[in-house]
Amino acid sequence: MIETPTCSCGANEPKRIIFPCAGQANVGQLTNLAAVQLTEEGYGSIACVALLAIGTETLIANAKNADEVVILDGCPMLCAKKIADAQGVTAAQHLVMTELGITKGPSKNYTDDDIEKIVSACWGGEGKKEKVVAKPSKKTVGPDSDCGCGCGDSC
Amino acid sequence: MKIMVTIEVLGTGCPNCKRQMSNVETAVKQLGITAEIKKIEEISQIMERGVMMLPAIIIDGDLKVSGRIADVPEIKKFLTGGA
Repeated sequence: MIETPTCSCGANEPKRIIFPCAGQANVGQLTNLAAVQLTEEGYGSIACVALLAIGTETLIANAKNADEVVILDGCPMLCAKKIADAQGVTAAQHLVMTELGITKGPSKNYTDDDIEKIVSACWGGEGKKEKVVAKPSKKTVGPDSDCGCGCGDSC
Repeated sequence: MKIMVTIEVLGTGCPNCKRQMSNVETAVKQLGITAEIKKIEEISQIMERGVMMLPAIIIDGDLKVSGRIADVPEIKKFLTGGA
């Protein structure tokens, strides 16, 4: 009997854990939706960043044993990245939704194209690029003052 | 136009195989190289190449990856001789 190749997507995929920031704004909620879709597509497994934040040992161990940790942050506050850093978990890939051209709030609306943009960027490894992430600066004086998270002072 | 590399993307056409093709096209575009990209979807043609796990990428006759989706940085390494 001749063995024929089958589509074995995921058979050799690295073990990945995906932490979405899951923030309240549209970009935060988009990280969740994208992480769910990435999990369904076999890219990796979504995990709870809140569980990581409280220092759950098994999750930290799983993250450290994974081939790749992927962090999806909604905005330049980089909450999920900071949580991972605090627990000693290093991201192989880090994507920030606002850097992908998705505008943060005040609307909670999103489109399927927004989700696809994030999922596609993740599969493409866009967050693996070496880059310098500027610290959010908080301007408290003058007309340009905002909270520093990229929301235009709407959060 | 001079063809510098031949890239064969093997896959039966599922969504993830299409992502593999998209990543290859992005890598070629980012590197600014000239490449002939072939989509190989026929099982008989895939078997001729001895590939048993999909999706797969063959560059100038060398199997670079099979059974998973290579991301853009990885494909760029394949194309620049880094892997």
